[in-house]
Amino acid sequence: MAAPVDKVDLQARKRAAKIIHEKFKGVLKDVLSGKPPRLIIPKRTLANTRFDPEKGILVMGEDVIERELLNMGEARRFMQTLLMASIIYQALIENEYPTIRDLYYRGKHTIVYRDLRGRLREENTWDEQSESDAVIRDVEVFTGLLREDMLILSKEKGKVVGRMKIRSGGDVIDLSKMGHGAYAIESTPDLIEFLEVDAEFVLVVEKDAVFQQLHRAKFWDKYKAILVTGAGQPDRATRRFVRRLNEELGLPIYILTDSDPYGWYIYSVFKVGSIQLSYESERLATPKARFLGVSMTDIFGYRSKKPYLSERERRNFIIKAKDVDIRRARELMKYSWFQTPKWRRELRIFLQRKAKLEIEALASKGLRFLAEKYIPEKIETGDWTE
Amino acid sequence: MPRRHRETATAKAVVAEAQQRGRRQRSKETYREISVAEFFAKNRELAGFSNPTRALYQTVRELVENALDATDTHSILPVISIRIAYDDELEAKYGNPRKWFRITVEDNGIGVPPTVIANAFGRVLFSSKYVIRQTRGMYGLGVKAAVLYGQMTAGRPVEVVSSMQESDYVYLRRLYIDVSKNEPKIVEKGQWRKKGRWHGTRVTITLEGDWPRARSRIIEYIKRTAVIAPYAEIYFETPDGEIYVFPRLTSKMPAPPKEAKPHPHGIDLDQMKMLIKRSNARTLLQLLSNELQSVGTIMARKFLEEIGLDPNMNPKKLDNDSLVKLVDSMKSYRFRAPKSDHLSPIGEELIKIGLKRMFKPEWVDALTRPPRAYQGHSFIVEVGIAYGGGIEARNEPLLLRYANKIPLLYEEREDVTYKVVSGINWKIYRVDFPAPLVVLVHIASTKIPYKGVGKESISEVPEIESEIRIAVQHVARKLRVYLGKKAREAEARRKIITISKYIPEIARSLAILSKPPTKWNQPSEKDEKILVDALIRLVSRNVEVPKVPGLEQSDPEKIVRSVIENIKLE
Repeated sequence: MAAPVDKVDLQARKRAAKIIHEKFKGVLKDVLSGKPPRLIIPKRTLANTRFDPEKGILVMGEDVIERELLNMGEARRFMQTLLMASIIYQALIENEYPTIRDLYYRGKHTIVYRDLRGRLREENTWDEQSESDAVIRDVEVFTGLLREDMLILSKEKGKVVGRMKIRSGGDVIDLSKMGHGAYAIESTPDLIEFLEVDAEFVLVVEKDAVFQQLHRAKFWDKYKAILVTGAGQPDRATRRFVRRLNEELGLPIYILTDSDPYGWYIYSVFKVGSIQLSYESERLATPKARFLGVSMTDIFGYRSKKPYLSERERRNFIIKAKDVDIRRARELMKYSWFQTPKWRRELRIFLQRKAKLEIEALASKGLRFLAEKYIPEKIETGDWTE
Repeated sequence: MPRRHRETATAKAVVAEAQQRGRRQRSKETYREISVAEFFAKNRELAGFSNPTRALYQTVRELVENALDATDTHSILPVISIRIAYDDELEAKYGNPRKWFRITVEDNGIGVPPTVIANAFGRVLFSSKYVIRQTRGMYGLGVKAAVLYGQMTAGRPVEVVSSMQESDYVYLRRLYIDVSKNEPKIVEKGQWRKKGRWHGTRVTITLEGDWPRARSRIIEYIKRTAVIAPYAEIYFETPDGEIYVFPRLTSKMPAPPKEAKPHPHGIDLDQMKMLIKRSNARTLLQLLSNELQSVGTIMARKFLEEIGLDPNMNPKKLDNDSLVKLVDSMKSYRFRAPKSDHLSPIGEELIKIGLKRMFKPEWVDALTRPPRAYQGHSFIVEVGIAYGGGIEARNEPLLLRYANKIPLLYEEREDVTYKVVSGINWKIYRVDFPAPLVVLVHIASTKIPYKGVGKESISEVPEIESEIRIAVQHVARKLRVYLGKKAREAEARRKIITISKYIPEIARSLAILSKPPTKWNQPSEKDEKILVDALIRLVSRNVEVPKVPGLEQSDPEKIVRSVIENIKLE
């Protein structure tokens, strides 16, 4: 048994456990009445992913798969799904916080059975963690519960500082008093309680290094902000946390990444969700997130807009786009949420110039430029891309 | 042993050739008449005695076939013992070890009349009553070739001990063949009063041979003989002291063949001349209707009138042109098809019994086709197929060829049977090579159309080829049905295993998930057992296991339980 947990935690556990129990009642009933059991699970495929323009996020389509015990090709996955669900269920009840690695080890054991010739054979319930991770995703879509809802921990990657206080695990934490460090966004962001908030916007930066620089420059204090980083591709907790800041506190979200298709895709993940894991978007995506920069027009200017970089700086800082960048950009152009006039302009300029820029290039113009001119000016003038 | 005195039609042809050569020699070069025995002595490869290896093999073959002819064709259940031994005496004498052999074959057959023994073993082409019926082949001619070979290489006479069923005596003869005179030369005679009821014949021939080279063929020959003669008891002792015993498996024997007259479609000029010479018929009409099968008086008269020959003329007065015309016209005239009661097929049951013993297959079936005819010779094709079990998987079917119950071992790829069997697309019969497949093909005929004088392969006669194909396909279709059922059964079992192995894991998971969160307690063993039992029922009732003939019906629930009996949950 884990240490006593607080009320928020207990409530979350109760809710998740109840849903899991209810969801598997059907299988139990079928087995006891002699009916071949099956799990009806929404399909987690690209083909079954679509963009919901109203919600502004990626959602799963209507396709489902029926996973039947009596189908040779599905029996193993059927067993795995039940096994994983039972481990998660028991962990919820026993107030534990398993990581996905824990779940892998708890469920991994060897089945010794006899084959056609009567020889003893062995088979593992699962072999690689990638296999058990996929089963966790199945349990998520089958129950409609995210792993965060089921209090499954993963490696913490996201960080936050800024003008707000939160309660987590019974402690009150002042995010403005983190010294040079930052609060690591926990794996269960729904257990965080927002207390006092004295911020006007949220700045999400792609890169950890830029986060640290802005933090030391007390950017968040000066501009009444909450500063977040996902340190590259954001984890689920960071995305959920950002979503809550927007949804529950009504704070605008600005996203700052490199000026290249990879950075744009990070923005896209925050905004509409990940293409591979569209089932999470409902709770993780922040459709109102705005792309602050660095944009192509920041580099090259556009009509009356003056570029932030001089001709000489451009020569020094711009990196030539690789083939893979070009391919990525062409891919992004197909997505409907990149079909706005501003995004089309961005992508068009990129494909014309075949140029990309790292955000550190702006910082090298002086941290003050980034913190006191570029970011505030862009927010003030509404120079973002949506 | 009256059948030893008869010659086959084929043997006749060889003799005719020999006589013709003799005549040619007389007219052109020398005036010395060559005896048939002398001819064979000089052309021993014709009878299959080309070298010490073949000679050893051929001698065993001739004697074993004689022994079977003396028994099964007379409804006696055969007991045959074969012994090949090194001849120590000759070894000591010539100082050339491991090359002299004494081959002794003993049967419990009808025996040879004492007055006939000398000619039966000592005069080539002794006696020939002109009738046809299915025979094992080269005996008569062959055994004398073996005797000749023996006396030419080892210089020893053949030894024959024989007693007839009704006789009170056992007779012994040792004899040579006088090659130039083609006469038996008896060197020792003996006779004893019988103590028991023994009857049969024991022949010993001493010759030069090559056992290491002939060994595998001889063993194979005897094994294959045993396959189609499961009613025989066969005992075989090799010079190395190995002993092979094939006990009798059944007392059922194939019906012995009846004698038959030649069919007009199959007769040639020489045979016709012989027929006329021997026949008592006074008119052509009588000759045709009495001496040939499938020809009645009305039919004969109609035929003769059509070709413009006088039905009432004396056949002995036919000139050569008319004779050629007669024989030639007969070949294409619409006589009734030849009869087949002079054929003796092995029968489906005996083929199956024999294949089962030799290969211990998981599946076997056989088919005896109805009689057919080619060129006036009736024939029957029989096919047996064995699959799986103790059969070794190979890249092509193991082919067992038989002609008139004689195993054919040499020249396999020349044989019509090989052509047919290797041309079959076995995939459509669910056989994927390498596969454990044995195909037995027996052709019974009054005249086997061999390819060469070696008589080891059969020609591609269209009628025979077609019959073989039909028969093989017929049995193969049954194999396909079996393999299909077996595949479905295996699939069902595989399905049960694939699913069942997860039962304990699923039961445990489900037991946990079934406890409501508000009233949680760890599931008990009983909770799990209820679910395990429910799942076993569920799986075994929902997977259908088809019944495979010859295999024990599998109980799905038993399979499920056997799969998971060892699973212990951690």
